[in-house]
Amino acid sequence: MTDFDPGRRRFLGNLGLAGLGALGAGSLLSACASSASGPAKSGGSGAVTIQSNLSSPQAKTAIEKLAENFNKLGKGTASVNTIASETFRTQLPTYLTSANPPDLYTWYAGSVANDYASKGLLLDVSDVWQGLGEYPQSLKTLSTDAAGKQVFVPMTNYWWGFFYRKSNFAKWGVQEPKTWADFLAVCETLKSKGIPPIGIGLGDTPWVASAWFDYLNIRINGAPFHRELLAGKQRFDDPKVKAVLTRWREVLPYFDPKGKAYPFQEATTALLAGKTGMFLIGTFFADAAPKDALGDLDFFRFPIIDPAVPVAEEAPTDGFFASAKSANPAGTKELLRYFASVEAQEEYVKSSSGIVLPVHPKAKAADSPLVSKGKAMLESAAELTQFFNRDSSDALQPTADTALTKFMDKPDQIDAILREWQASAEKVFKG
Amino acid sequence: MIRKLRTGTFHTGMILLSLLWLGPVIWVVVMSTRTFDDIAANGVGSLPHSFTLDTYRQAWVDGGELRALINSLLVTVPSVVLSLALAAVAAFALSRYRIPGRRTILLLMLAGNLLPPQILLIPVQKFSELTGLYDTLWALITVQVGFGLGFYTFVLHGFMRDLPGEIQEAATIDGAGPAQIFARVMLPLTRPALAALGALSFTWIFNDLLWAITVLRTDDRMPVTPALLALQGQFVSSWSVIAAGTVIAAVPTVAVFLRFQRHFIGGLAIGAVK
Repeated sequence: MTDFDPGRRRFLGNLGLAGLGALGAGSLLSACASSASGPAKSGGSGAVTIQSNLSSPQAKTAIEKLAENFNKLGKGTASVNTIASETFRTQLPTYLTSANPPDLYTWYAGSVANDYASKGLLLDVSDVWQGLGEYPQSLKTLSTDAAGKQVFVPMTNYWWGFFYRKSNFAKWGVQEPKTWADFLAVCETLKSKGIPPIGIGLGDTPWVASAWFDYLNIRINGAPFHRELLAGKQRFDDPKVKAVLTRWREVLPYFDPKGKAYPFQEATTALLAGKTGMFLIGTFFADAAPKDALGDLDFFRFPIIDPAVPVAEEAPTDGFFASAKSANPAGTKELLRYFASVEAQEEYVKSSSGIVLPVHPKAKAADSPLVSKGKAMLESAAELTQFFNRDSSDALQPTADTALTKFMDKPDQIDAILREWQASAEKVFKG
Repeated sequence: MIRKLRTGTFHTGMILLSLLWLGPVIWVVVMSTRTFDDIAANGVGSLPHSFTLDTYRQAWVDGGELRALINSLLVTVPSVVLSLALAAVAAFALSRYRIPGRRTILLLMLAGNLLPPQILLIPVQKFSELTGLYDTLWALITVQVGFGLGFYTFVLHGFMRDLPGEIQEAATIDGAGPAQIFARVMLPLTRPALAALGALSFTWIFNDLLWAITVLRTDDRMPVTPALLALQGQFVSSWSVIAAGTVIAAVPTVAVFLRFQRHFIGGLAIGAVK
């Protein structure tokens, strides 16, 4: 299956080109074909290609550094192929289904990986996991597909929270809220000082609103209900979901009215300039902050609404999966073992310079108060969720974007919006 | 007096209008000289608080624009030459000889251009894999030639059809065969149209993104448009580096346009008056 038969391929090539040749260029083009049949992958021992979407300069450097270190170990060779993340997202199915796919892919854990696994596109990496005894069970479950095989190897994760500038909170005389009532009080104080309390950036990045939905849902209804809802086992027009939006409606007046117009990167600028009070966002936003502002940043966890619900946090996990058609499964697994190791993860965290946490329990995270606080928050959580699209699918995400954007515009139409959301979600689940 | 006033108003109006067109370009150029921290602190729309040319170094070296520009030219130049050569031959045959079904052939070629390229993405990707060309620059050249051919033939056909038949007859009487007529009579006469189409197709192929990301998947084979996209991070983008990369990427098309400018405008006008 993995070995190409060059004769057949050449024959098909000429056959296909004969079609184009009807346009009058047969001889010319088949001359091209024979000289450009692409790099033939030698079965078994070739370099392992990592198709990477880590296109930001720091993350790109970090993953290239890891590949370099792996090559020095003498267990095989790896080469990194960085593709613009937006291109990567749309082309990933094409890469995986092509006849001669790259071996390893950077991607997300959770249902998005399971989707590909259920189509038989992912390599079974259960034997890599046999060596990962130190990893917590929750990560193993997260990396397991519906058939019970492990298909994913995690490397890093990060957290979401309400970020703010310490100096601004001190200036406005407010403290980190712990409960929903505290939170409303902080919003009220900031509003009375003429500062839009809650920043958001939905232009071009409407998915940022899903963080609010996720958090309210896991705070009010709990993580198990949230997962079932995103898996299509519960309904969006359920009264429990209505309770989520009703709660959200209480704070809608505190949102930055400009937030619908600009993307989250500019919302970050607004937060740093003190034009908004706080911002529910993932740690990746810090890459958009000037270096001198980083020390002034702090965050608090999404306020507790119902103390009876076990505390869950969003901790999107990033890592790798491999193609089932990889020409070099042994080398690919060797590389995955390296990525799962303490050295590799510490190296990655160090060179990527972004705020990410290594998932290996023994790997040390970056040494900063912010990172320690984030790590402690995730460790104290009873349950971890990924994010809306990662817990469901990239196909369900647009339905959330539509529904939530509409809700923020017309909060009085909750019932109609939820009915529509359920209808469009059903279409997605039916496939 | 009134005349002066009219010229004055005209000039003021035109200056304002051209500023409207130049505005975004100037904005991008100014943005390309700002530092990351300046943009992060003040936003993309604010006036510059900093000046640096390091963004150009970052785009050129870290962003791999040199490699990308070479790839772009490796694709664009052969595609333009090949598609114009094929289109000229086809147009010559269709316009100067009574080939049975020539109208149908021409309409068929044009009809291909009416299909939105988006619906052909998956077939083209699968086809390029079948032919073993997937992830090579040849695949991109083939696609660009294939998709450009219909339109170029149509334009050149219209142009060649209007050339006086007497020239061809005179050449035939002098003993020239079809190949000689094409090379020595038709091609020189078609030069303005070829130059205009050449500049146009250069811009189209050079600026194409869709086909490049459909048939390529290796970063060091990507032409300049996907390379620009790769300057964007997963979540956060350094807009000043992207702006610098965009300025660099615009240079070849501007150069081609300036070089062929005269033909370009001339070529457009010729078709119109006749």
